Amino acid sequence: MRPQTGPADGDIVRAVLAGERERFALLVERYRDRYARYAARMLGSVDAAEDAVQDAFVRAYDQLEQCKDPDKFVGWFFLILRNRCFAERRRNKSAAPLEAAGGIEAADRTEGGAEAAERRRALQLALLELTPDQREVFVLKHVEGLSYGQIAERLNTSVASLKMRMHRAYDRLREQLRDHT
Amino acid sequence: MSEHDFHPLVKQLLDGDLTLADLPAELRAEGEEALSLLAAVDREIVAMPAVTWRVMATLERRRRRLRPWLLAPALAIAAALLFVILPRTPRPAAAVTVRFELIAPEARQVSLAGTFNQWDARATPLVRSGANGTWTATLTLPAGQHQYAFVVDGVRWVPDPGAPAVDDGFGRRNSVLTL
Repeated sequence: MRPQTGPADGDIVRAVLAGERERFALLVERYRDRYARYAARMLGSVDAAEDAVQDAFVRAYDQLEQCKDPDKFVGWFFLILRNRCFAERRRNKSAAPLEAAGGIEAADRTEGGAEAAERRRALQLALLELTPDQREVFVLKHVEGLSYGQIAERLNTSVASLKMRMHRAYDRLREQLRDHT
Repeated sequence: MSEHDFHPLVKQLLDGDLTLADLPAELRAEGEEALSLLAAVDREIVAMPAVTWRVMATLERRRRRLRPWLLAPALAIAAALLFVILPRTPRPAAAVTVRFELIAPEARQVSLAGTFNQWDARATPLVRSGANGTWTATLTLPAGQHQYAFVVDGVRWVPDPGAPAVDDGFGRRNSVLTL
């Protein structure tokens, strides 16, 4: 994780609430890419993820007074983005897989070759077959690199519950990938 | 537990609680299969540099804090606006139909942004008609005062030279239409 430079999140939030609206851009700049990957993997589409991240920031701005602890802006923002991603998947379940494949192809140019590309593509498509809850815990742990404890804190749930979701996800992914091959 | 399910110890391997060497010999192959699944995880960074601009533009539009761009002389857009108040249509009282026109022969697209569409530059496109580059849109607006500007090619905010204007608070001008 990159070290954070510049003013603390809480100071920026308080400044925005005091009328320095343009300083909200600092928060967008700081967190847009950190959560872009989460949204892209959850939605299976970079384009849909970009819309979701944008909408989440606009909603965060609109509801900024409800951010009870400005120093924990990022955790609060994450929940807004999460809700947006879940809602998007409910609305548009069928559109994502094709774009997901395209997104993976773009990533493949950098490493691995065709076989690795195909494995990544197959896994991404299989992830989209999981329930949103299962996919989320997989993305947070294995894409974002968070521990179960960190995920539990972020989602306000228990480690045991997360492990149950994840272990079901492992089995479903195995089944999907076997079908694929 | 179905035939597709990973062994509980293999799941612990995937969770990072065990290593491949910790597994009994008969589970090593399954463990390697599981690890190959994780090896296929795409952790490529996704960058969204446009999001900052898009978010701040959305907020500004909604707050009507527009900074219409001055029309660059080099664009040579011969802009002239007419708005024509047409007879009232049989709509609810206090609604007036207005036609907006902009002559912009070199424009590729023109739209209208104003208080009536939350300053959304994509909400109200004008249609090009005729060979002289006249762009038009007809709207039915509630009676009262409206502020607006034309948006040429999605980026250039052009006030109406034929209508009164007010300062937008940032040294630029918004056109004013009173119905």
